Amino acid sequence: MTFINYVAREINCKIVYYGPGLGGKTTNLQYVYQITSAENKGKLISLATETERTLFFDFLPIEFGQIRGFRTRFHLYTVPGQVFYDSSRKLILKGVDGVVFVADSQEERMDANLESISNLEDNLKEQGFDLAKIPYVLQLNKRDLPGILPVEELKRQLQVKGEPCIEAVAPQGIGVLPTLKAVARQVLVELRKSA
Amino acid sequence: MSSPTFGLHELEFQRIQAILSKMRRELRAELVLLISRSGQPIVISGSSENIDCTALSSLAAANLAATDGLANIVGEREFSVLVHQGRQRSLFISDLMKRFSLVLVFDATASSGLVRYKCKHTSLLIEDVIRDYQRRIEKTEPVSSLPQFSDAELEELLGS
Repeated sequence: MTFINYVAREINCKIVYYGPGLGGKTTNLQYVYQITSAENKGKLISLATETERTLFFDFLPIEFGQIRGFRTRFHLYTVPGQVFYDSSRKLILKGVDGVVFVADSQEERMDANLESISNLEDNLKEQGFDLAKIPYVLQLNKRDLPGILPVEELKRQLQVKGEPCIEAVAPQGIGVLPTLKAVARQVLVELRKSA
Repeated sequence: MSSPTFGLHELEFQRIQAILSKMRRELRAELVLLISRSGQPIVISGSSENIDCTALSSLAAANLAATDGLANIVGEREFSVLVHQGRQRSLFISDLMKRFSLVLVFDATASSGLVRYKCKHTSLLIEDVIRDYQRRIEKTEPVSSLPQFSDAELEELLGS
């Protein structure tokens, strides 16, 4: 649910990073945290297991700047990618304004990508959203690893509606900000339509 | 479809702020927040210097959502109230119209029964404010809306 505070002149939106386990969702948030100046970010909260796998979610509030005098604040969340945390994933999607799907480019992870997209579609539906209509970006992560599929092949199998598709190497920050900006742009355009 | 938008205007802000402040004084609570169920702080009353209200809102919403999940598993429709008892501070979280939540940080020695009672009463008052607002925007022209920013302004905001 986009929350517009006319008193404080703030726009607050929720972005969720979705995708298979070990695909790089948390790494995306960690990079955004690293490069964002202190005054434009809050605490990065990670609810993780003792082996640093996401247990519930990661959370990072950031601010992009102002548009027409309104501060634009984005609350970034990741979901746990592991299959058995499905209940948690559903909860994180509550009130979502935009989704980034972080796909793993390795050939051996294609089935996991496909399963996760299908799971996203189902879970969005349960929360009253339609993947075909919600702001959505596909990130093809791990482009630096051996055994990756060509971009065209990944797009053919994973794109669901002609959404922006961005190549990334999240630990190096490649593609991380373009992904975030692409989804933020869509969210704000949707907001403008409804205003 | 995309997510619905909730706008907070001056009139509602003032009314909700007054309601929350009254409850905070009556309970001698440190902090009272109205948050959205998606985890965004909407109205804050009290001293937030030592508490990260953004993180608190996010975690409280997630906590309430997880509790809803637990309720479903054991065959309950909901557990609408959550209380975390600490040594010095306690936390009370309750649902409000399924879209919002009331979060209270209070002295651990306070009576939890009184907190529960006051929060219930406060929730009803806030529901009235929100319903009034909904009726108002249904019947009249929008009070004020988000300025129609241009593509160029959007690019300036998000430009590389």
